[in-house]
Amino acid sequence: MNPAVVAAVWAALGLAAAAVLRRRTARLVAFIPLAGAGLTLLATRSLAPVVPLGGLGAINGLDRAGQGLLVTAGISMALVIALHPTIDVSMARTIGVVGASVTLALASGDPLLTALALTAAVATLTLRWIGQAPGRATLAAGRIAGSGTAALIAASPFLPLSGFTTGPRPVVVGGLLVAGVAALLAIYPLGGWAAGILGVLRPLDVAPWIVLLVPTVLLIAERIPEGVLGDGVPVYEHILLVVGLGSAAWGGFWAFRGPARTRYGRIFMTDIALCIAAVGGTRNSPAVTGALIIVLSHLTLAPILLRPAEAGLVWPRRVAWALLSGVPPSPAFWGRFLLLEALAAGNVDSTIAAVVAMTGIFIATVMACSMRIARAPAAGWQARVPEAGAWLLVAAGIAIGLAPQSVSTFVFGS
Amino acid sequence: MGVSAPLLSAVGVLAGVVAVMVDGRRAVAIAVVFLAAGLMPTAATFGGAPGVAVLAGCAVAAVVFAWAGFVGGRRLPWVAGLDPTIPAFAPPERLFGPRSARAFSAAIAVPIASWVSFNIPVGQITTAVQGLLFPTAYAWTCGVIRLLLARTVEDLAVGVAMVSLSTGTAWLLRSGSDSLPGAVIACAATPVAALVAGWLAGRSTRRRPVAAEA
Repeated sequence: MNPAVVAAVWAALGLAAAAVLRRRTARLVAFIPLAGAGLTLLATRSLAPVVPLGGLGAINGLDRAGQGLLVTAGISMALVIALHPTIDVSMARTIGVVGASVTLALASGDPLLTALALTAAVATLTLRWIGQAPGRATLAAGRIAGSGTAALIAASPFLPLSGFTTGPRPVVVGGLLVAGVAALLAIYPLGGWAAGILGVLRPLDVAPWIVLLVPTVLLIAERIPEGVLGDGVPVYEHILLVVGLGSAAWGGFWAFRGPARTRYGRIFMTDIALCIAAVGGTRNSPAVTGALIIVLSHLTLAPILLRPAEAGLVWPRRVAWALLSGVPPSPAFWGRFLLLEALAAGNVDSTIAAVVAMTGIFIATVMACSMRIARAPAAGWQARVPEAGAWLLVAAGIAIGLAPQSVSTFVFGS
Repeated sequence: MGVSAPLLSAVGVLAGVVAVMVDGRRAVAIAVVFLAAGLMPTAATFGGAPGVAVLAGCAVAAVVFAWAGFVGGRRLPWVAGLDPTIPAFAPPERLFGPRSARAFSAAIAVPIASWVSFNIPVGQITTAVQGLLFPTAYAWTCGVIRLLLARTVEDLAVGVAMVSLSTGTAWLLRSGSDSLPGAVIACAATPVAALVAGWLAGRSTRRRPVAAEA
């Protein structure tokens, strides 16, 4: 099945669900990402990694890592919806369009199509966010992330760089690609918008960005240096290394210093900044494996931690926080350990900022684990279903921690 | 007859300035029409008649889609939604407002576009074009300025349309077999931005039912 068909199904299901479903049947929205994930398993496979740095071309297939990421992200998004206490049906439209966009972005080797797909995702999210909470923070998402996709679009006429590997053209293209990636992943100095929306929006509204868009952009960003960037490679790598590490250290500080309701988002942003610093800045094997394990850990634990703390699941949340803390043998430990190894191989000094960030995350998770939450005890089997689901996710998290390399190979093929 | 680069640049700057300054419910359609007209000489020089047709078609599509979205938004049942022309937040009182900032940034965009034009070749190694990218680079820079200084959803839609249209023109300059399809794909975001802005404008101009007001 062509990935374009999979994307069309995502979008069609999302639009139809937003029109048809009512409040009583709102939880059926979870079937949209589930269907998307199921169809992605049937998508045509591309044998070579799909790097969006070529010329204009048709969408032929998803590579193994892209397919694994989309399936896992789809399942994770479905579980986020299933475990959330209240669902807004209009969210289905956003989930459908963002799911379709990320499918196209990962399947396309053409920088123009990839950039336009990411633009569609960002535009849909921004309209949703501004509609939910009009304000400076949500408008900033449109301003900064929109400008990031504009930078990716602008790079497309200059690609491929065959014959132009030296001179200002590859440098400008590298700068445009860095700006696009940094804005979409919310890395400082282009990351303030994400910190803002974490504070003003409900977790479910932010979930498509966390679960669907960010892992996709991270995978695309990891592949960019594999293409022909010439003189643009050092620009791309060095800037991502510096801003990624700076962003991670800053994010680690705010993870424990900031308000409790934004804690998971801050930790997620810090981990992503570490990942992009390692995979963009050092490009060696442990970095990619570590980033994939970190992404997999977040996709597994996000359904629990994006659920509001007051809505229950006290003990599964505590264990989930522990799995993110970085204490061995949690999956986050292996992921961050590999990132540290990769950073040390490139430049030992860079590990200082990474250790600062990881310390911040550790303190934040300990604070989250020890937080007391007053809530009425759950009664009846309906209250037990989310708890059982959460424990299953925790078990999956523990399994990732016990066999990180095997699980990563099973999901991403590497 | 050779191409007059200063004339192409002057027309492009004029169109870019209009597009970066225009406000109101019809801002997307007006910006797209002016920008398409301003970039059309460049498109004609490098893309010939098909290139002109792409930009003209894009402008017509944007106007039609904006109108269709507006009418569609007015006809459907009322739902609470956002007005694309109302600022998402109120900035503090200051001497220079958002339009002044846009005008100042549009002036700064001139040297940026000039540098890009003279230093970055577009296209393949055998057919690379250099020194004539100014109108396109200026329109793109103005589009990003519009995005960065946006206060309303309408501003964001204008910015997306400007970036899309200018990138489409840059694709025409590539002079390869994929330049025309690339231009069409790049310009496709323009009518979509017009449709969304028109739809939201139509929905917000519809009168709220009495029951909803109560």
